[in-house]
Amino acid sequence: MDTMRGDTIGADAPDVAAIAAAHRGSRAALIAILREVQAARGYLPEDALRAVARHTGRSLVDVYAVASFYHSFSLKPRGRHTVCACLGTACHVRGGQQVVEALSRELGVRAGETTPDGEFTLETANCLGACALGPVVVVDGRYFAKVNPGKVRRILSQARSGVAAPEAADGERALVTEAVCPECGRPLLDAARPIDGYPSLQVSAQCNGWRGRARISCVDGVLDGAPENAAALERVRLFCPHCSAGLNDLLRCGECGVPTVSVLAGDGALVQMCGCGEQRVRRAEVEGAGARREIAQLS
Amino acid sequence: MPAYRSTVLLCAGGGCISCGCLPVREAMEAELKRRNLADEVRVVQTGCVGSCDLGPVLIVYPDEVFYQKVSPGDVPKLVDEHFLKGRVFERLLVKSAETDNLIATQREFAFFNKQVKIVLENCGVIDPENIEEYVARGGYLALGQVISERTPEWVIEELKKSGLRGRGGAGFPAGTKWDFVRKAPGERKYVVCNADEGDPGAFMDRSVLEGDPHRVLEAMAIAGFAASADQGYIYVRAEYPLAIRRTRRAIQQAREAGFLGRNLFESSFSFDIDIRVGAGAFVCGEETALLASIEGKRGIPRPRPPFPAVSGLWGKPTLINNVETYACIVPIITRGGDWYASIGTEKSKGTKVFALAGKIRNTGLVEVPMGTTLREIVYDIGGGVPNGRKFKAAQTGGPSGGCIPAEHLDIPMDYESLAKVGSIVGSGGLIIMDEDSCMVDVAKFFMEFCTDESCGKCPPCRVGTRQIYGLLDKITKGEARIEDLHLLEELCGMVKESSLCGLGQTAPNPVLSTLRYFRDEYLEHIVDRRCPAKVCPSLIRYSIDEAACTGCSLCARNCPENTIFKVEDQKKYRIDPARCVKCGVCFDVCRFGAVVKS
Repeated sequence: MDTMRGDTIGADAPDVAAIAAAHRGSRAALIAILREVQAARGYLPEDALRAVARHTGRSLVDVYAVASFYHSFSLKPRGRHTVCACLGTACHVRGGQQVVEALSRELGVRAGETTPDGEFTLETANCLGACALGPVVVVDGRYFAKVNPGKVRRILSQARSGVAAPEAADGERALVTEAVCPECGRPLLDAARPIDGYPSLQVSAQCNGWRGRARISCVDGVLDGAPENAAALERVRLFCPHCSAGLNDLLRCGECGVPTVSVLAGDGALVQMCGCGEQRVRRAEVEGAGARREIAQLS
Repeated sequence: MPAYRSTVLLCAGGGCISCGCLPVREAMEAELKRRNLADEVRVVQTGCVGSCDLGPVLIVYPDEVFYQKVSPGDVPKLVDEHFLKGRVFERLLVKSAETDNLIATQREFAFFNKQVKIVLENCGVIDPENIEEYVARGGYLALGQVISERTPEWVIEELKKSGLRGRGGAGFPAGTKWDFVRKAPGERKYVVCNADEGDPGAFMDRSVLEGDPHRVLEAMAIAGFAASADQGYIYVRAEYPLAIRRTRRAIQQAREAGFLGRNLFESSFSFDIDIRVGAGAFVCGEETALLASIEGKRGIPRPRPPFPAVSGLWGKPTLINNVETYACIVPIITRGGDWYASIGTEKSKGTKVFALAGKIRNTGLVEVPMGTTLREIVYDIGGGVPNGRKFKAAQTGGPSGGCIPAEHLDIPMDYESLAKVGSIVGSGGLIIMDEDSCMVDVAKFFMEFCTDESCGKCPPCRVGTRQIYGLLDKITKGEARIEDLHLLEELCGMVKESSLCGLGQTAPNPVLSTLRYFRDEYLEHIVDRRCPAKVCPSLIRYSIDEAACTGCSLCARNCPENTIFKVEDQKKYRIDPARCVKCGVCFDVCRFGAVVKS
C-alpha cells in the first residue's frame, strides 16, 4: 500500500475521526464510512484504514477485507480524471470492448490502472444503466454516448484540456461545459451572458481586417442547415481575451478531432469546417466597430 | 395558484439527464418567462418516460404531444410554434419506422400504446421529488387503509390471490414469502428492498427509484405491517447516484408527512426506512450476500437454509424483495389481488418490465403483461432491428440467463415458457442481437463478468468460471480443438451443480444456451478458424476498398499504430496487415464505407 500521501495528513487522521463520529462509530456503517473517507482523500491510504479500524472498533484485517472486496474502493492513488467505460451487455453488443481497448491503448494503461503522470485512471463498470446510449464512457461524471474507438482520442483530448463535451444521443450536438485558455488557464465561459441557455464562450475575434469581441454558443449544430456559401467566406481567427493566445485549436471537428476553420456567416452563426467534410454551426454574437455591417455583407 | 392551460412534462430520468435535459428545462423556463407564458404553461420534471434513446424528451399536455431530442437551442422555436402559434413543431416529432409518417402524440406511438403500465404508471407522469404529486395520485392511501381497516393476514391473502412472484429473478411467490416472515418466531424483524440491480442491461429498478420512489416506500411500510417489522433498509448500488438522492429525499418527505416514523396513522404501528449504499459488487444482489453487506461486512453469500425469512439481518427474520416486486404491491392492495391475477398467464401473473436494449430501434423500458410474445416486444414495441439487419437472438436474464434464437420469436414471455427454452425472465434485461453479434463472444463476455464478480468463497465458481472463460477465449482466438467443446460442456455441468449460490449455479447458462442454439457458430470458430459475425479480432482482418477510398486520410490520421499508408502517386490508402492491431478505429471513422472487415 502507498503510504506517502497518507503521512501528510498526520497519524491522528482527524478527517477520518470526524467521519466515523458522524456515523457514531457504528460497525454496520463501515462501508459508508469508507466511501466518505475515499471521497475526501481520493483513495484509501493505509493510515486512513488504520484510523477507520480504530474508530469503529473493528480489526484492521476486517477493514482491509471490506476495502479490498468492493470494486468502488481504491487502495492506490487515483488520477486527476476518471475515465469509466461501461461494459454492460447492451454496451458490449454495440462494441464496448473495442472502446475499452482503444482507451487502454491511448492511455497506455489497463483498466483499473492510473497513468504514470497521474492524469487518468481508467475504469470499467458492469452496467451504468444508460443502456439506450451505449457504448457509454463517463469522464469525470460527464456522459459520452454512442462512443466508438474513433471517438476516443477526442474524448481524452477534451478531458485533458479541460473542455469536456457530453454529447446528445446521436452525436449531433457537442456541448462545452468548461473551457479555459490553454495558454493562461483563465476561464473563457461567461455565465452572465448565456446563449442557447448555456454560458457563452467569450473570445476576441479577427476577421477580414475587423477586430472585436465574439460570444459563441457552447452548443453545436442547432441552427437549421449551414449557410450554402460558407466556403467562400473569410475565416475568423479567435484569441483568448485575457492573453491573446490563438484559440482556433479549441473548436475541433466533432468527427475527426482536428482543429476546424471557422467562418462567420449571416444571422449570427459561426460555421466550423473541417477537411473531412464535416460542417458544424454555432450561434454567435459579435461586437465591435463595423461588426454588424461586416456580417451583413457576408450574408 | 394560476390555472395552467398546458403542462410540459420533461423527462429527467438518468438517460435524459446524461443527454442534457436539465439545460433544456432552464431554457424552457426562461423562454416561457420571456414570452409572458410562465403563468399559462407549467414545466414539470418527471422520472423516466421509458424511451431512453430519444432523450431529452418532452411531452406537452393536454394534447400529449411528444417531442424528442430537444436541445436548448430548439426551445425558442418550439415555444413560438407550439404555445404561441398553436401548432405542432414538426421538426422534433418522432418518425414512424415503417411509413416515415410523423407521430405527433404519445398515444399514437406504438412504443407506448402497446404497453400496460402498472409498475411504471407514475414514472414519467409525476415529479418524483414532490410527495404531493404522489399523494394526489392516491399515494399512501393503501397504507392508511391497511393500517386502520385491515389485518396483516388480509394483506397476505390478497398478495397470495394476486399470484405475484418475485421480480428479482427466482420468481418465488411473494405472498408465501411474506407469510413465512410473518410466522417466523422472533420479536425483531426487518424488511429489506434489494435495489442492487447488478444484472448488466437491466435498469427498471433504477427508473422506479428515480421516477416514483414513494411507491417503494409505501409498499415497504405495508410489508412491515404484514410481517410486523418496524425497520426497513433499501440497499442501492453506488452506480445509481440519482436514485440514491431521490430516494433519500422521498424518505425525508415521507417522514415529515407522517407516512414513516412512529405511530403511523395514529395506530400503534411504527415503521422507518434507511438507505444502505453498495460499493460495487454484483454478488451483493444475492440475498444472503446483500444482508452481509448491510451489516458492513464483505458481501459473501452463505448456504441456505436457513433462509433470510427465518434468519436474516443480524440473525433476525427478514423479508427481502426487489424494487419491482414492491412496486406491484400498492396497486394489488388498492385494486385487489383478483384484478392483478386477471392480467398475465396462468402461472405468471401481472406485468413485467423489460429493459429493451442492444440492436433495436426503440430502446428503453417496456412494461407488458406476462405472456406477451417476444415478437410483439421486438417488432411492435421495439420497432425491430435497425439498419436493415436481421434479428439473431434475444438475451434475457443477464449473466444467469440464456439466448432465445429467431425460431422462438413467438414464445410467450413468462417464467415457464422461458425456462422451457433454456433461459430465464431474470430481472428483465432484454438485449437484442443481430447478425453482427458473435454468440461465442457473448458467452465469453458473460463468463468474464462472472469470473470478475465471483466472490471467491467456493472453488467451483472461483476456479470453474475461470477455466470456462479460458476455453471460450481459446475458441475466439481460433486456437481450440474439437475436444475442448466437450470439456466446456462438462465443466459447465460441474459448475452448475456444485456452486454454493445463485451466481455460480447460473453462470454457465449463457454458454449452455448458446451451445444449444448456435453450436454451428462454435464449430466455425474451432474448425474453420472463422468468426461469421466478424467480431472476434483474432479471426478477422481489415482492408481498404481502393475503389471506394477517396484519399481523405482520416483513417491514417486516426490509426493508433500508424499502419495505414498512402499508396504512391495515388489518392488511395492501404493497411499494413502485418502491423494492424485490429482496433477498428479506421472502420469507424471512414465516412465512405471504404474500410472493410473480412
